[in-house]
Amino acid sequence: MRMAGLGPKRLGKELSKITNSLPPGITLVSADNLEEWFLDIQVLDQNPIYAGQTYRLKFKFSNSYPIEAPEVTFVKLDNRPIPMHPHIYSNGIICLDLLGSQGWSPVQNVESVCMSIQSMLTGNTKNERPPGDEEFVRGNRLRPRDIDFYYHDNNV
Amino acid sequence: MSKDAHRSTQLKEEGNSYFQSGNFVGAESLYSKAIIADDTNPSLYTNRAMARLRLGYFDSAISDCDACLKLSGGNMKAYFVLSQCQLAINDYEGALESALQAHRLCAETNDKSLAAVTNQVLRCKKARWDEMEKKRTREGQELEKEVIALMEREREDMVNSCTNDFDRKQVQDEWDQKINLMKETFEKSRKASEQRREVPDWAIDDISFGIMVDPVMTKTGKSYERASIMEHLRRHPTDPLTREPLQPHELRPNLGLKQACEEFLEQNGWAVDW
Repeated sequence: MRMAGLGPKRLGKELSKITNSLPPGITLVSADNLEEWFLDIQVLDQNPIYAGQTYRLKFKFSNSYPIEAPEVTFVKLDNRPIPMHPHIYSNGIICLDLLGSQGWSPVQNVESVCMSIQSMLTGNTKNERPPGDEEFVRGNRLRPRDIDFYYHDNNV
Repeated sequence: MSKDAHRSTQLKEEGNSYFQSGNFVGAESLYSKAIIADDTNPSLYTNRAMARLRLGYFDSAISDCDACLKLSGGNMKAYFVLSQCQLAINDYEGALESALQAHRLCAETNDKSLAAVTNQVLRCKKARWDEMEKKRTREGQELEKEVIALMEREREDMVNSCTNDFDRKQVQDEWDQKINLMKETFEKSRKASEQRREVPDWAIDDISFGIMVDPVMTKTGKSYERASIMEHLRRHPTDPLTREPLQPHELRPNLGLKQACEEFLEQNGWAVDW
């Protein structure tokens, strides 16, 4: 017997909710299907690293969402850089325990993920990439969720 | 009684591969042959019922489910298929009853179909509510027509009994006003029943975002739909909020909340599709 996945129904509901309202600094760009959504985020306080910039996030949902985490990365466009952060690689991959299989919980949602990333930027003072960024970006062929990140510094 | 279990199993497996490839006619006929070879195997009847359900032979699919339940009383699959057939022939009460039986059996045995069966329970409730709504609307419209017709007749009689044009005009206006007021009153009550619909947060499962059918509580006091939290625990045996270890046997049914959700759905069947 085929399992009725939670995903599509839940995403439909999330979409109608975030179409009506989102917290400040987060805007929905497009959600043309239930597999891939784009959202823009801005850092609202006066953090000089991110002042005046807008960043684009890409959400990819598998059939097992929300039991499994969505794949969330920054995408680079002419007017959308990849934010500088010791946990964000220059190819847009984000190292955040919430997005890994251990840290994810099905009560998280698109809005709460955006807010976590927003606050991860807000609290950052280091204008730098993760150690080994160049090498990682050159060599990585893994999907973000399969990368075994070492959460080396919880103060960042 | 004929019994050739070996031959029967062969026919069943052939039938299964037909079923999987979407050939329900072929599958149905092979399951029938398998039943002739061995009429004591309950799963042959549910398999044939599923093929017949797909073919739209609801009555004979229902007979198969009944036959299966006679052979094996607590057969979850039989109740699940039965419910789908009953829903197809608009037997809403029967469909809901069968779906709830399937749900109870699923929850008891931690069956992987729990999510699908929970969905079926909701579909039955929605269908039953839709039917009642249709009836309520129809009755309301008929009542309105009748009342307006009565008032128009009364107006006619009153106007006709007047002796001069002045009186006639006054009576006519007076009754026109009353009739309009009555129409407005009906209009207002229609709007109340079509008002903006919202589901209260307490009825919503934070994992599926759907209204809860069988809420269960974790140690933290937070409730989830049983099917959702079981699906989560299968992969990550942790509390979604605290990430502390959590095992299925630690979940407790939240009977008060379950009843509140049931009562909410009785009045607001649309909430299934919210």
